[in-house]
Amino acid sequence: MTTSALELKGISKQFPGVLALDNVSLSLQKAETLGLVGENGAGKSTLIKIIGGAYKASQGKILLANREVVFNSTQESLEKGISIVYQELNLIPHLSVAENIFINRLNQTNGFVNWKKLYNDATEILSSNGMADINPRAMVADLAIGQKQSVEIAKALSYNSKILLLDEPTSSLAGPEIQNLFKIISRLKEKEISIIYISHHLDEIFEICDRVQVLRDGKNIDTVAISETDTNSIVSKMVGRDIEDIYFKEEHSIGENILEIKGLNDHYLKNINLNLKRSEVLGIYGLMGSGRTELLKAIYGARKSKIESIKLNGKEITIKHPIDAIKQGIIYSSEDRKSENLFFGNPIWKNISYLALQTGSFSNYNFIAHGSELAKSKDYYDKLNVKAPNIEADVYNLSGGNQQKVCLAKALINEPDIILLDEPTRGIDVGAKLEIYKLIANLAGAGKSIILVSSELPEIIGSSDRVYSMANGQITQEFIGEEINEKDILRYCLQKDDFGVSA
Amino acid sequence: MTFIKSLFAKSEFIVFLGLLVVGAFFSFQSPVFLSSFNLQNIILQSSIMGIIAIGMTFVILTAGIDLSVGSVVALSGILMATMLNSGVNVALVLSINLVFGITIGIFHGFSITKMRMAPFIVTLATMAMARGLTMVVSDGRTLFAFPESFNYFGAGKVASIPVAIIIFLLYAITAEILLQKTVLGRNIYAVGSNIKAAALSGIRTNRILTFVYIASGVSCAIAGTILSGRLDAAMPTAATGAELDAIAAVIIGGASLFGGKGTIIGTVIGVLLIGVINNGMNLMNVPPFWQSFIKGAVIFLAVLIDSIKNSNEEAAI
Ligand SMILES: Nc1ncnc2c1ncn2[C@@H]1O[C@H](COP(=O)(O)OP(=O)(O)OP(=O)(O)O)[C@@H](O)[C@H]1O
Ligand SMILES: [Mg+2]
Repeated sequence: MTTSALELKGISKQFPGVLALDNVSLSLQKAETLGLVGENGAGKSTLIKIIGGAYKASQGKILLANREVVFNSTQESLEKGISIVYQELNLIPHLSVAENIFINRLNQTNGFVNWKKLYNDATEILSSNGMADINPRAMVADLAIGQKQSVEIAKALSYNSKILLLDEPTSSLAGPEIQNLFKIISRLKEKEISIIYISHHLDEIFEICDRVQVLRDGKNIDTVAISETDTNSIVSKMVGRDIEDIYFKEEHSIGENILEIKGLNDHYLKNINLNLKRSEVLGIYGLMGSGRTELLKAIYGARKSKIESIKLNGKEITIKHPIDAIKQGIIYSSEDRKSENLFFGNPIWKNISYLALQTGSFSNYNFIAHGSELAKSKDYYDKLNVKAPNIEADVYNLSGGNQQKVCLAKALINEPDIILLDEPTRGIDVGAKLEIYKLIANLAGAGKSIILVSSELPEIIGSSDRVYSMANGQITQEFIGEEINEKDILRYCLQKDDFGVSA
Repeated sequence: MTFIKSLFAKSEFIVFLGLLVVGAFFSFQSPVFLSSFNLQNIILQSSIMGIIAIGMTFVILTAGIDLSVGSVVALSGILMATMLNSGVNVALVLSINLVFGITIGIFHGFSITKMRMAPFIVTLATMAMARGLTMVVSDGRTLFAFPESFNYFGAGKVASIPVAIIIFLLYAITAEILLQKTVLGRNIYAVGSNIKAAALSGIRTNRILTFVYIASGVSCAIAGTILSGRLDAAMPTAATGAELDAIAAVIIGGASLFGGKGTIIGTVIGVLLIGVINNGMNLMNVPPFWQSFIKGAVIFLAVLIDSIKNSNEEAAI
């Protein structure tokens, strides 16, 4: 006999011009983990925000333990025992980890914050959840995005809520952190906590969920027990058609060295030597903190570093600022959409054209030729299949996956020769992922070179011609062709000591 | 219909409606209000504040603030007066004054970008230092009796239109074109909306930040020229509190202190609204203390309307 923890009946949500949810019902049992899947823009996050009190449903009812409730604010839902990790991180950058975890609940004595207790409590929460490597006194702005996500999770757990809603909690986590989260989830299950788990990684859904509910275009498609279904059937329910392959690689001939870097060092990266060939997809895999993002930023000039030599097409160049890289045809697309890539509050077309504007693409004597700017942006908006009411829409209102597509459009519009992609499929649904893999393959086929950083090993293996493994700020091994396999790459990423040999 | 809707979505339009309403109110209260003489007077008085506020708009668009404007206007006036009184050629004085404005801007830009100091603090320090220097240089006295050609910018007319108004309008139009039509302008908005993303998009953010403080410094220098010319005098206490009026005008005009949002047309309407309220209250003989109170209340109302509008657009998470 099961008891209902949370029930939604006939929920609809109308945004101006978009019906995000259309008569969606859901039931979550006590101690159950329910997977929620669907394409980008299917309405998953909107549903979570309605349960969390951030949005009001246009129609429908919410029942908590069989009693109808109305949430007018996020605070009210929190007080009723619902904790949420939102897809977009909501930490306050200039406060410490501990303050962020206990925000609104700072322990006070006579009006003064009891700092000692605060840090002790935070340490306790972090270490009991396997996140002891995060310093509770560190400022959130200084954390890597994966660590920020861990802090969000710790914060949600600290409320000891009966219901936990996780919206793509692993989008910035790598293998071990994900395993750690799963351990936490199974412990919570034992404590009879109910969980809704949103993810585009179906393997995760199959590993930890009891049932899975599929949304498409804001509608309920199906809800099935995990034991009675498989990946293919879920995918076809999500996209409304069959998808045979998940990965895509194309045979193409690889050219000469286009980029050669020797002796790149900074306070984190140690003696990096790297080369990239024309028409090559070079994968870089490493765990959180391995220095993969730092490496891309250092190449791009967005991070101070010392480089012995950097050659583009055999010629020595200097990159002191991203604009130098951009002018040489090198472009970087950041993994952190919200704080490093997009301009929230601005329309899609502006976001797409910012980078191209810097090289004078649509301007004469600094004056913007708006017609061609808009036309070219529209072109890439269509090419990448961004789903939005129109190109004037504020990027802030797009679903996570569609924001990611805008980031890619922004990087590609300038037709760079070398593209440094940092987690390009973060938060993107299966169908759209395949489109991006095809895009990467096409770019390589057309003579472009790509460095692909991803925390998903299968994605690296599925798209790369060559792979570097990274650990502790060093390149630990190079893998070519047949050598590219999961086991070996992982082995070279896990090593903690310093014996790593640069490739 | 959608056109009207989109009009109402613009904060500039709402402030403009506010300006009309306030104007209508005063024209009922005082027959003099709508006379062409009085209207010209309002615009003339607004033009000095307007030029300062235009510079301030640039700064606020990048999420910065410039508290030094009032003192810098005064110091610019005193410096020019000292030079003029010792017989320096007018053209040279005007050029040195512009260099002075640029220098102040570079100093602010350098402190903020290279020394990583907060705009609020740096410009607060300049505010005190510049005001102190006006006293030191002038010995606390008002300086006056400038050449006719110098006073032309503040007191001259072209076909019955005051030169100051013409300068103000041209300055506003140039600034708006720069902001809306050029890459530089787009980059200013970008820096204010997300400075990290701006840098990764290839924008030299330090240069943009320095530029906006130079724009503010130059605006003060121009305002200093017009003010001294109009009064034929430079006072060490001139433009005291101008920073508050300028910031208020920019915010009333729809800009956000968090950066990335605002326009020159909005600022100009904001300046005119404050000008109309000042003028109307004078015509109605409202006592000065109440004037200050009412102005404060208007600022509060403007920001309140903006914040309510924003919270309707999105539920806060
Ligand atoms: N505040 C908003 N204003 C207008 N439209 C919105 C708003 N929030 C979401 N939408 C729209 O509602 C739809 C559902 O968005 P939602 O974020 O729920 O999708 P999702 O399933 O979470 O997608 P993803 O997997 O990409 O995160 C999208 O079309 C989105 O553009
Ligand atoms: Mg989502």
